[in-house]
Amino acid sequence: MLFYLKVLRVYYRSVLSLTLPISALVLAAPLLMGTPLPSPLFLAVVQKMASFPALIYLIGQFRPQQYWLYRNLHLAPWQLWAGVIVLDTLLLSVAHRLLAFLVAL
Amino acid sequence: MPAKQHTLEADGIQVQFDNQNVLSGVYLRVQTGQVVALLGANGSGKSTLLQTVFGARVVPDASVRVDGYPVMPAYRQPGLMSYLPQTGLWPSGMALATAARLLGVSLVEALADFPTLQKQAVEGSTRAELSGGTGRLIQTLVLMARRSRFLLLDEPFSGVMPVHIEQLSSRLRAARVHSGILLTDHRYQPVLDVADVVYLLRHGRLQLLTEPRAELRDLGYLPD
Repeated sequence: MLFYLKVLRVYYRSVLSLTLPISALVLAAPLLMGTPLPSPLFLAVVQKMASFPALIYLIGQFRPQQYWLYRNLHLAPWQLWAGVIVLDTLLLSVAHRLLAFLVAL
Repeated sequence: MPAKQHTLEADGIQVQFDNQNVLSGVYLRVQTGQVVALLGANGSGKSTLLQTVFGARVVPDASVRVDGYPVMPAYRQPGLMSYLPQTGLWPSGMALATAARLLGVSLVEALADFPTLQKQAVEGSTRAELSGGTGRLIQTLVLMARRSRFLLLDEPFSGVMPVHIEQLSSRLRAARVHSGILLTDHRYQPVLDVADVVYLLRHGRLQLLTEPRAELRDLGYLPD
């Protein structure tokens, strides 16, 4: 399990440049539209449903070589993405809390 | 006491691209203690075959077995198989030492017989900072140091300096003690020098060559 988390940290860092802008957009959209901030779970589900299938597909098409290291570490792409979804949801929740706090000020 | 011998077998592999059979009715056998060469023209399906054996490519009727037991996808079994792809094994910006550590290998030990490489591969340096051939050699040596039961190498000699090819060949021969090695490369001479068994992939079929050099010359794969 520790090894999986170590590898997941490396993989998440490699896709963070793609997931971070999407998370920022999802968080910023309600503020820009002047609507109340939805719950973090709702935002996470919307973000994952709307962007992750396309993201996973495009990475598989255009950067398939990135999986070789992880396959040599006995991990399938779905195992990496399952972890990324959990980590990204946690990150989104933290950012949501921070944003809600700042909005309330 | 000699190490127990293990046998990797793959068959039933049929792959089509654009309605053309790239692989059909392939049977492949690799034993620990052997270096098995897979030769063939560009686009003949060598990499596809290696990827299928490794388990990265799903082929419906394929069967990959070790000692008679199915192992699909093989890469999921710890210690069973390592694969050097044609493209980079790890991201070019990742530190060599970090990649080696993830793969459970000490970079210093992996490069033990290559002092010039050790100097180049200092802590923090990345594949992007090295020449293509040096990067290739380091990746191959790191994978070999893992001592997986089977090692699949796709073009390990590509871009590597002649002096290092000789050293790498010696290492491959030595690695037979603990691994079965399946390798493919366009540099036929070093491959033939190191191989115990030679297969030729031609028109989607795998042919076991009994007199590799003569047969390859007759078929036009080697100059007269």
